[in-house]
Amino acid sequence: MDSKPSDEAGELAGKPPLPVKIVVAGGFGVGKTTTVSVISEIPLLTTEAAMTEVAAEIDRTGHVPQKTTTTVALDFGCITIDEEIKLYLFGTPGQDRFGFMWQDLTQGALGALVIVDTRRLEDCYAAVDYFEHHDIPFVVAANRFHGKLEHHLEDVRWALAVSEETPLISFDARQRRSVRDALLSVLHMSLARAEYPR
Amino acid sequence: MALSAMAGGEDWRQPPDPGLTRPYLDEAGGVDVPPPVREASGVRPYLLTGGRVRPADASLEIEAQVQTTPAGHSDADRLMFEHRDIVVLCAQPISIAEVAARLGLHLGVARVLVSDLIEAGYLAVRRPDVGLPQNKKIIERVIRGLQAIR
Repeated sequence: MDSKPSDEAGELAGKPPLPVKIVVAGGFGVGKTTTVSVISEIPLLTTEAAMTEVAAEIDRTGHVPQKTTTTVALDFGCITIDEEIKLYLFGTPGQDRFGFMWQDLTQGALGALVIVDTRRLEDCYAAVDYFEHHDIPFVVAANRFHGKLEHHLEDVRWALAVSEETPLISFDARQRRSVRDALLSVLHMSLARAEYPR
Repeated sequence: MALSAMAGGEDWRQPPDPGLTRPYLDEAGGVDVPPPVREASGVRPYLLTGGRVRPADASLEIEAQVQTTPAGHSDADRLMFEHRDIVVLCAQPISIAEVAARLGLHLGVARVLVSDLIEAGYLAVRRPDVGLPQNKKIIERVIRGLQAIR
């Protein structure tokens, strides 16, 4: 290995890798965790992060009525891309709004994969709104639960009212190659607006 | 895991009392973030951060890579609790999010502690370059790397 000193720390053996990230968003229970864990090279990790009380109030999952906690679990995994780059996949919590979390998660992201369950399309509205508004490249991916979709993709596009430029794909969160291809479509969106550094 | 140097009690790993987490909110990107709550007692995460509610560098990304420097390794034994745990954990470069997850720390707390250690010269940091999301060269490399996954 190259033991060239790094800028920051003099005698470190090699530089720490360059981190890049893709955000995996969507409503509660759409398959974000499965998506991240099926392709991550490390076991899925979870950490607690802050969530606003507003978000706690609008959490309407039947399992946790009137949830009052102001922390939320953030799931993530990573993939070593090459000798220098490490790709992180951050699964955003299921709630519609969680204050600073969005900013923290999306700052510097290459793009986002918004996962939808075609039976509960409205759960992804918040994510779609956010990425459109912040001009972050994203792809909408319908998870084929039990191997099938409940609705045609054209109907999903109509219901979500996403622009024609936004790719809408279907994938299987349980299949690594399917997840890989979904992430690749996100990256092609990112690429379309990128430039070679001068 | 080589975390035998971990600080004693286990209960600090529990998620903090919901009412006590606001001091760690980063207001910069927050919507409707209430003012920090400071009056409560027994706020361990708050104590861990020496009473500070935000890192020296609040913009430190959660995916930023940190790695223990030689100075960090040699002074590890003199560091206290979580600072020492982090220095031991980061022998290989990992992200701030991983530091939080592996030590059972709230993300905001991990960020403050990591910032301390960077400032003290015990950790080296590599942050994502500015303009990374628009860097065609980097994105192409990520695409190639993903394509290699079978």
